[in-house]
Amino acid sequence: MNEERKKILEMLQQGKITVEEAEKLLAALLSPEESKSEAQKSTCKYLRVVVEPGPQSEDRDRVNIRVPMKLIRAGLKWAAFVPKHAHSSINKALHEKGIEMDFAQITSEDIEELVSQLDDLTVEVEGKEKVRICCE
Amino acid sequence: MIPMFMRLKVSRNPNGHGLLLPVFLVWILLFALMVVLLPFVLIAALVTWRSGQGKWLLLTYPLLVSVLFHLSGLYVEIEHSEQNILIAFL
Repeated sequence: MNEERKKILEMLQQGKITVEEAEKLLAALLSPEESKSEAQKSTCKYLRVVVEPGPQSEDRDRVNIRVPMKLIRAGLKWAAFVPKHAHSSINKALHEKGIEMDFAQITSEDIEELVSQLDDLTVEVEGKEKVRICCE
Repeated sequence: MIPMFMRLKVSRNPNGHGLLLPVFLVWILLFALMVVLLPFVLIAALVTWRSGQGKWLLLTYPLLVSVLFHLSGLYVEIEHSEQNILIAFL
């Protein structure tokens, strides 16, 4: 165990820092290669989307979709095929939805980072229909 | 791994049995077609290399294979009041 890591754990033991702070500090100690490999150790294999009728819904329609994360990664690589002249249309459509983003600036690394962060994603919406999006 | 079978169910009865389609036969045909088309793709890539599109043409092959190989595990189930649809790659 290196000195910095030991010091952080001692600070945690003495109650000088919280568990969350210690976690952040330990993550900061990792080299970019180490943190990248940590991110790749994703346990999330599938993205699940479930839509069920809510208690007040008259519809009995249900949707249950399970998409492998590897398929999402492979599919996102096709984004590179979007022609340059379409970028302005995409940016305009995003702007209309209130999203200020330049599509041309999105790199494959950004996409990879975004997908790796989906591990912690859980969206639950309860209205007329119950919608659940999570990783499993 | 590339999916070998696809379970397909389109029925009004939610408990009805679906079809188990041997999609590996489709992959065999598709890969044969890809091999046949490869020389044409290479020529097209060389012709359009200067415009920058040639690189993308060459990339279609590995990207398509990558998508096909990761289809395994894809599961789509839609239950509608009139019809139920299930598509699953095994």
